[in-house]
Amino acid sequence: MLLFNPISIHVPLTLKPTPTSTSTPHPHKNLTILSQLPPTPTPTPTPTLSISDTSLQSKGFNLHRSITNLNLHHLNSIFVSVGFPQRDISKIQIALENTDSLIWIEHHKTKGSPVAFARATGDGVFNAIIWDVVVDPNFQGIGLGKAVMERLVTDLLNKGITNIALYSEPRVLGFYRPLGFVMDPDGIRGMVYSRKKKKK
Amino acid sequence: MLSLHLLSSTSSSSSLPTIVSLNCCCCEPSNHLPFPNTNLGFLKVKRQPKVSNLKAGFWESIRSGFGKNNTIQVIETPSSEEEEEEPLPEEFVLVEKTQPDGTIEQIIFSSGGDVDVYDLQALCDKVGWPRRPLSKLAAALKNSYIVATLHSRKFSSGEEGNAEKKLIGMARATSDHAFNATIWDVLVDPSHQGQGLGKVLIEKLIRTLLQRDIGNISLFADSKVVEFYRNLGFEPDPEGIKGMFWYPMY
Repeated sequence: MLLFNPISIHVPLTLKPTPTSTSTPHPHKNLTILSQLPPTPTPTPTPTLSISDTSLQSKGFNLHRSITNLNLHHLNSIFVSVGFPQRDISKIQIALENTDSLIWIEHHKTKGSPVAFARATGDGVFNAIIWDVVVDPNFQGIGLGKAVMERLVTDLLNKGITNIALYSEPRVLGFYRPLGFVMDPDGIRGMVYSRKKKKK
Repeated sequence: MLSLHLLSSTSSSSSLPTIVSLNCCCCEPSNHLPFPNTNLGFLKVKRQPKVSNLKAGFWESIRSGFGKNNTIQVIETPSSEEEEEEPLPEEFVLVEKTQPDGTIEQIIFSSGGDVDVYDLQALCDKVGWPRRPLSKLAAALKNSYIVATLHSRKFSSGEEGNAEKKLIGMARATSDHAFNATIWDVLVDPSHQGQGLGKVLIEKLIRTLLQRDIGNISLFADSKVVEFYRNLGFEPDPEGIKGMFWYPMY
């Protein structure tokens, strides 16, 4: 029987605020410390590449960072093959056009058909979320997933985006952890809106 | 005593009487004003509808907007889906209050994204967030798919033209315009917290996203606000899916 919004204590009604790289995600703590920090950001670790670009190329794989020549039908079929729902090609086109960064790998024998893919959306300065990380089941286990992830994160960092997040299915948490991803840091929870689950 | 005129109070949907009970009160922004411990004041307020110089169109939107809030309180019904289909206007008055001295305060919702970056920085300061470069703030707003704001407009009766407008809340969403949207930077001025404005802000933002056919709406919540978002229809770790961050610093 709440008469007051449960957030009526004086805590800012906030989500994880996007920190600059020198600040903490909880601005109501340690404000004096923040004011003493130097203005230049401390460097964040950049991923070293598990497989170099040259190594990929020598194995017959080409790397791409734009959707030019990307066959969306093949992309969609890879999505389906790893268990994603079938999606409208025109919607996929729109999504990719409104994506900040993406990486895909093709094998030179099947040009245009991606064997690995990952993309990130965001506001271009503070936050990015990585979506649709897929590797063709026929090409899994040789490091292509790592290859796209490491490069995508590096590209985001090079743009100055340090708040990089994703939503991981439970069975692939072990894939993302060695890449530097931490689950629920400081108690922050990923939440998704469900039309069926409004409060009673 | 502050008297509150609810714009929604002229709607006579049958679900309204159920709102009056104490059990379901958190959605309406009007609930949390001068009579916190009784629903009597709330009842009184309900019977004093104020009709001011409002455009005909948005009565429907206010009614449907609040109607949706009402139905959230009660049960999930097809009627709430009909209301969801009514397009939300880009800007509309959520609440209007008249002070005893005759000053009127309106709380205005907008999804048009017209935010003064200096105002936003001042608001972020007020809630205690670390400073971010103005140019980056501006870029982040520009690159956001929807920026939803709450402004407070205060004016003396009859002098609506001389209103002072103040940013008191914001929430923004980034999106790929097709499948996914993520909500960031939700904040409400501490002087206006505790009135349910944050809830309304998010509800309207969600509704705008749904009307643009964005099916997947997500966010990352500090542990202290997980319940707040749960009450708005968000589920943490659905099907065990976990939020992960790259080398977070905390």
